[in-house]
Amino acid sequence: MTSPIYSFDGVTGGYGGGIVVNDVSGCVEQGQVLFVLGRNGVGKSTLLHLLFGYLQLIRGSVRFKQMDLVGKKPEEMSSLGITFCPQERVVFGELSVLENLILMRGNRDITHLEGYFEHFPILAERLSQDAGTLSGGERKILSFVRALSEGRELLMLDEPTEGVQRENILHIAQLIRERKKSGATFVIVEQNLELLDEVGDHVLVMDQGKVMISSRKDLISREDIVRHLGV
Amino acid sequence: MGLFLGRSIILLLGLFALPTLLGDFWAYQLGLYFLYSIAALGVGICWGQAGFLPLGQAMFLGIGAYLSGFSLIHFQDSFLLLLLLPAAALIPGFIAFVIGLLVFRGHLESGPFFALITLALSLLTFQIATNWVDVTGGFNGLGGIPSLPGLEGFESLYYVVAAVLTISIGVVAWIIKAPIGVIWRGISENEKRLTFFGYDTAFLKALAFGISGVLGGVAGVLYAPHQGLVTPNLAGFILSAELLIWTAVGGRKTLFGPVIGAILVGSLTAELRDVIPIWELMVAALFIFVVLFLPDGIAGWPERLFQRVLGRRFSGDEVNLAVKIGQKSPELELASCSLSIGTVDILNQLSFRIAQPGIYCLIGPNGAGKTSTFNAITGAVKTQAGSINLDDESISGFQSHDVAMRGIGRKFQVPSILPNLTISENLRTALWGGRCSLMDLFHYTPLNWTNTINTDLKERFPFLIEENKPAKELSHGEKQVLELSMSLLGEPRLLLLDEPCAGLSSEETDKVIDTIRWIRSTFDSTILVIEHDMTLVKDIADQVIVMHQGAVLAIGGVKDIQKDSRVREVYVGVSI
Amino acid sequence: MDPIAVTIALNIIYEITTLFVIVLGLAIVFGLLKVMNLAHGEFIMVGAYAAYFCQDQGWPYIMAIPFALFIAAILGYLIEFTLIRHLYRRPFDTLLVTWGLSFLLREVIELVYGKGFQSLSNPIPGSIDVLGEPYPSYRALVMVIAILSVLVLWVWYRRSLTGARVKAMVENPELARAVGIRVDNLARHTFVVGTCFGALAGVMLAPLTRVEPFMGLDYILTSFFVLVVGGVGTILGLSSGAGVIGGVQSVVSNLFGETSGYFGVLLIAILFLWLKPNGLISRS
Repeated sequence: MTSPIYSFDGVTGGYGGGIVVNDVSGCVEQGQVLFVLGRNGVGKSTLLHLLFGYLQLIRGSVRFKQMDLVGKKPEEMSSLGITFCPQERVVFGELSVLENLILMRGNRDITHLEGYFEHFPILAERLSQDAGTLSGGERKILSFVRALSEGRELLMLDEPTEGVQRENILHIAQLIRERKKSGATFVIVEQNLELLDEVGDHVLVMDQGKVMISSRKDLISREDIVRHLGV
Repeated sequence: MGLFLGRSIILLLGLFALPTLLGDFWAYQLGLYFLYSIAALGVGICWGQAGFLPLGQAMFLGIGAYLSGFSLIHFQDSFLLLLLLPAAALIPGFIAFVIGLLVFRGHLESGPFFALITLALSLLTFQIATNWVDVTGGFNGLGGIPSLPGLEGFESLYYVVAAVLTISIGVVAWIIKAPIGVIWRGISENEKRLTFFGYDTAFLKALAFGISGVLGGVAGVLYAPHQGLVTPNLAGFILSAELLIWTAVGGRKTLFGPVIGAILVGSLTAELRDVIPIWELMVAALFIFVVLFLPDGIAGWPERLFQRVLGRRFSGDEVNLAVKIGQKSPELELASCSLSIGTVDILNQLSFRIAQPGIYCLIGPNGAGKTSTFNAITGAVKTQAGSINLDDESISGFQSHDVAMRGIGRKFQVPSILPNLTISENLRTALWGGRCSLMDLFHYTPLNWTNTINTDLKERFPFLIEENKPAKELSHGEKQVLELSMSLLGEPRLLLLDEPCAGLSSEETDKVIDTIRWIRSTFDSTILVIEHDMTLVKDIADQVIVMHQGAVLAIGGVKDIQKDSRVREVYVGVSI
Repeated sequence: MDPIAVTIALNIIYEITTLFVIVLGLAIVFGLLKVMNLAHGEFIMVGAYAAYFCQDQGWPYIMAIPFALFIAAILGYLIEFTLIRHLYRRPFDTLLVTWGLSFLLREVIELVYGKGFQSLSNPIPGSIDVLGEPYPSYRALVMVIAILSVLVLWVWYRRSLTGARVKAMVENPELARAVGIRVDNLARHTFVVGTCFGALAGVMLAPLTRVEPFMGLDYILTSFFVLVVGGVGTILGLSSGAGVIGGVQSVVSNLFGETSGYFGVLLIAILFLWLKPNGLISRS
């Protein structure tokens, strides 16, 4: 077994000094996908915010490629090779779809995006439209494509399939698989199990800010996961 | 009341003693700043209490002064002055009220646009005063204004000014302690919340602006005989600006702040402007400093101390309000309601009907349109198609406060409270909603109102008894409970609760659920709850409404819903 | 061509183009950064006084440009760092603090130069021929520069992503940080660019107007009126706002006198603030 490229240990913290996430640990190897699962409000998004530097850790460590990430700010992450897709307010609504996709590039060239447009022709059709006029699912797709097109080594996605049609979830899965092959690593927060079935490698199930299950996907039964989710 | 009058008399005696202490000339000079401080009291009401910024307040002073000047010149010694002078003070107030009503009705915010409108209006007044030479005397002003009849010589006018200042302070002290003051402060904290308690906040803010206009008018009416000359500058930008600076430095949120600021900074500036060249620079810097770091101004700290030592809460016997038991249970019907923003459909032909009392749980995945449904019912957003009927009346297109007045209460997902008000002020604001008449708002009796729900809630949640604790100091869970309590106090027939247990510990959750059940059974109310936690839903729901993509996917009992394969599908994906 | 018509047309164009110059700095700070800078007029004033200083020293007028930019940049950085930085999400306090700041800047200038008017000599005297009518050369130059800058800005704004990044940062700072925008720096630079444009406007207009400590007051109001009428965030909105306000001002002034022109502008502004606060060209 290779050593993990990204790992966090004993992560504890929350908003305004409160503890929402309590002693959560996990890790993922290069080219693999770690899924963080759990019901609404169990602290999954807070965990990502802690990991990406939006919130300060009260305790715990975060490492990426031997690099200590504790205390790093979100705006430093992209230069370290990490990107992030938030759960809410996923795009810049007042900018056009095109501007969202090329915001941090030096020019308006879009040839590098053509591969994505084959999967999601809707984006190509709406390039000049304000991203705020897209539907929730379309925004998620735009956000996903934006993150993927940045070409980072580690992608942290908060509920990338929320509101996305099934067909497009499969396209997302396809793109993730391709990117895994070229060595990218993913941490994905999800409620929906579809994407897990398609691309998951590790599973971390949370409840009330704590880890309930941490396991390789193929070593755990579906029922065990579902027990902590949904209806 | 006695204490109140007593303080006023002490203040008056103090002011009356000043000429003896300082000499007549100085007293006369101070008289001018007494007048300005009356106008500054008005700025304090707008900015310190109701939370909107008047940048052109001198305009009302100017209008009052011109009207007073004409009256005194043309009706010298006529008994008509007894009518004309009060009218001259009231007309600016009326103008302010109408401006306020028009602007605040237009868009419900106290933001910078209102401030800029008042600034533009004051410049307009200045231009009119400068250019309407025949009437106003133009740039040189309206001169030769006689003193008030029977008050020749400036000494006697001083006593009138001092008396009017005392009365103004007394009236403002009364108002800001009365329910209206609490509600103004509530508006400045969280205007949206108050509309959902049934307050017509646009009207109440216009009222504040109107009262400030009257105070400006009163100052202007006395200014004309006091100075004998009214020039356009009185309505202009500089004085407007100074009024604001004085109010800020003195302490906009306090009673005496604006008065102290106007008298202290105003008269010191008049004296020191020429002596210390950088004096005005220092005042400007002081203003910036106060805005950034000292929102309570220089009067803030002493006034709080003073209140602690001398201030007594107005106390009287509690008045127990009759509970509105036996209200007609509501019939709510949404028919094909649609709402879209851009190309996104938030609500898509949403239809459902609730006719029986009971607890209805609204569930569905994120983005299903649950909170938007609440927004549509309470008038927070306007649906583009379809109709919403309460009983047999269409309430689509109603303002939020009109909806609230028909007995619909609401609790928000993120606790929406009045953070800088005390717990008891928070609760009272909710209790008064829909119950206080306009007269009641200026009266002290509502301060003693209570009802059985209030008493019961305080037993269930003991932290509510800590009356004088600012609501912002509560924990997240307590804030949730406080807002829930607030939405219950209005005894709504239909109660909309948006995730009332989010962020609560399991113990708190139990208590909240218990309270909701108690309300349900005692008052036979209809309660619509958005909830994610299925264990809770199973626990309390009489009926479950499942929403998906802006429409109703299923309605039924908990068991039926759980069996429904479509419901399972939208929750955990297809392959379950 | 009718000489009167030509003169009137030129005056209207002059009015609109100078408005554009005046508003530009505020359009950046308020339109993109959403900071309601009530001291914008005072930056124009500072620019004008910088020009006065240069002329007073006997330097060539063109020197006023780098000198004013230098002063405005230093002031801008200083003010952003000490005051504005803390206020990005507090629009009300921003309004008050910048308002106090406008007093402060006025007082400083008043201490140095006194209350009186300073008048500058025209750096390019004489007139040129426009459609058979003589027109003051310097005014014509100001008009040409203004129109050119509209075009340059328009092209730049369509191509460059800097404006988009500023808007992105203001709209959604969390996401902006996630994509790697250094929010603090970008905000600071944007504010300083705004103050620099203000000072440049002051340099351009100084020879054409009376330079005095209170000159900023009129500019700030008309600037806000232009933005309110036109709508913020686009060059088209900025231009149409300048068109309406400048057009009304010069047409009504020509017909009924200057005071009426002023009235007309105030009335239009009040109506827009009241009934259409998002302006003519609003996004979405």
